[in-house]
Amino acid sequence: MKLFALPRADWFGPLAIVLFACAVITAFAPSFLSPFNIQILLLAASVNVVVAMSQMIIIAIGQMNLAIGAIGGLAAVSFAGLMQVWSFPPPLAALSALGLGAAAGLLNGALIARTGVSAFVITLASLSIFKGADLGITRAQPFYNIPASVKAFGNATMLGPIPWLALPAALVVAGMWRLLYRQKVGRFILAVGGNANAAELSGVSIERATLWAHGLSGFLAALAGIMLVGRLQLGQPSIGDDWLILSFAAPVIGGAVLSGGHVSVFGTLLGVVIVAIITQALVIFRIDPFFVQVVLGLLILWTVGVNRIREVRLSGVRA
Amino acid sequence: MTSAPYGWAPASAARAALSNEFGLVALIALFGAWFALATPGFASSFNLFTLGRIAAIDIMIGFSMMVVIVSGGLNLSVGAIGVCSAMAFGWLSQRFGLPLPLTIPAALAFGAALGAVNGQLIVRSGLHSFIITLATMSVFFGLMVFITRAEAFRSLPSQVLAFGRLRYFGYVSPLIFVSAAVGLLLAALYRLTPVGREMLAAGANPAAAELSGVRVGRTFVFCHMLSGALAGVAALMSIARTGAAIPSMAGDLGQDWLLPAFLGPVLGGTLLSGGRVSVAGAFLGSALVSELTNGLLQFRVGEFWLQTYLGLMLLAAVLLDLARRKLVARLGASP
Repeated sequence: MKLFALPRADWFGPLAIVLFACAVITAFAPSFLSPFNIQILLLAASVNVVVAMSQMIIIAIGQMNLAIGAIGGLAAVSFAGLMQVWSFPPPLAALSALGLGAAAGLLNGALIARTGVSAFVITLASLSIFKGADLGITRAQPFYNIPASVKAFGNATMLGPIPWLALPAALVVAGMWRLLYRQKVGRFILAVGGNANAAELSGVSIERATLWAHGLSGFLAALAGIMLVGRLQLGQPSIGDDWLILSFAAPVIGGAVLSGGHVSVFGTLLGVVIVAIITQALVIFRIDPFFVQVVLGLLILWTVGVNRIREVRLSGVRA
Repeated sequence: MTSAPYGWAPASAARAALSNEFGLVALIALFGAWFALATPGFASSFNLFTLGRIAAIDIMIGFSMMVVIVSGGLNLSVGAIGVCSAMAFGWLSQRFGLPLPLTIPAALAFGAALGAVNGQLIVRSGLHSFIITLATMSVFFGLMVFITRAEAFRSLPSQVLAFGRLRYFGYVSPLIFVSAAVGLLLAALYRLTPVGREMLAAGANPAAAELSGVRVGRTFVFCHMLSGALAGVAALMSIARTGAAIPSMAGDLGQDWLLPAFLGPVLGGTLLSGGRVSVAGAFLGSALVSELTNGLLQFRVGEFWLQTYLGLMLLAAVLLDLARRKLVARLGASP
């Protein structure tokens, strides 16, 4: 019985794809599973998984957050700027940037919950407000003076091919899992995403759940921005510009339902790994890097189609 | 009941004054006067000409989003489709030397075809247009860069650039007439034709429309085709302004068009939930945004902060509209 239930789990399909892709690529290019290559894969996936989780928590509540890239960028330049201009020690600068990200997310959440205007419009507006602030503060120039400790954290390895950046990423994955499956707030967020009316009638505060989700989303976006400053060794204003597609692709590949109420933490993690593998494979096989965009888009279309079929079948089984 | 008409007259007058279009005209006039008095450059004939050209393009971008919002959806790929049709135009003109009467319709048809892809995918899958157009934005733009190798087409027919440089009375660009003409056609579409009424009906309540005999799926595909074609018009107008078909004309993935695309219709009062449209409102909304952008640049408030002001404007517009609707509802409820 349990064996038959397995293929229906959200993470089963993506995991099969990961294993299959690794096998095929290694067969053609044995260097794919070399420690160096694994390290590169992990570096890319570490940042991206935090980006994906930042969107996933909003998908869970049945909304969308277009502003995660802008929040991440603003947090990244604040982090770098605080260290360069006001010579804050890195931990303090990081805490301030995380606080800024959470505050930006809370602002989104408060506007959405209080006004009832759709999250799309509110986050489109705040996307441009935060992006403008990012460009206005930096005048579109990067901050170059990043302390050596931050640079090391972004690039050094902890154990074998595992980079230090994987540590915050792993903590985020574990934290999200605990939040969504073991804690009241997470259950409330999923309940509101599944059916806001029913949740409210059962005594869940929609406003509080929205504030939590957006605050957390902003916090995670800021964390991803800070991690990228370490990785790029630069406080670049353009950090976050290219997060939007990926942030939706990974949760959707992981089986998230876009109307809310159903997300998978491990599915999303595997979604990020799939994207990283594809990007890496295109590099290994010397396919035009522009093609990554096309593949990402097709991947979203393919998986939302498959998820749709699965949804219909699942509801058919239940009915 | 003599008191009823008395109670009605001020309320309806107040309602007319509270109408969105009236408010936008007043704001455009107000800001125009302020900018003209406060900055020396704003009212110069060259600046008005530049402003008119940019406003015309932004209005067209707004229209191309509006026609999809009407159906209760959205189209994130307007920028990507626009750039794709611009590159198709450049390719046909430069590589094959085809004349404009052939290349312009071909470019618009290409835009409409990409819109049809969006529409078909949305209708067939039954998924929300947000995720479908997010994906196709990536696919269209990626394929375009892949095929063109990110190179621009710069030797285009001289009439295109000449049209962009044309000035009437020293400050009016003909591009604004193109936008006005398209606006009139769209207004006629929604007011006079069955297809237009069906688009509104399908947007307001798809299930009810389907039961009343509207082929909702086909109507949605039409909306997306129209959106693609209008994105193509906006892109061609942009080519007339700059004189070249450039892959980065709408930013990475065409994302730079998103804000103007939503600002105009949202300011103009086109409901994001679909079913209601104000072509004049979208026109005026986009014009106001272009005017404010230009005015702020004249004040030299720092071009880097510009995006922040635009975002604040969108936020203010949405909140004001909310307050206005509450006020109108109260006036309507009381005698």
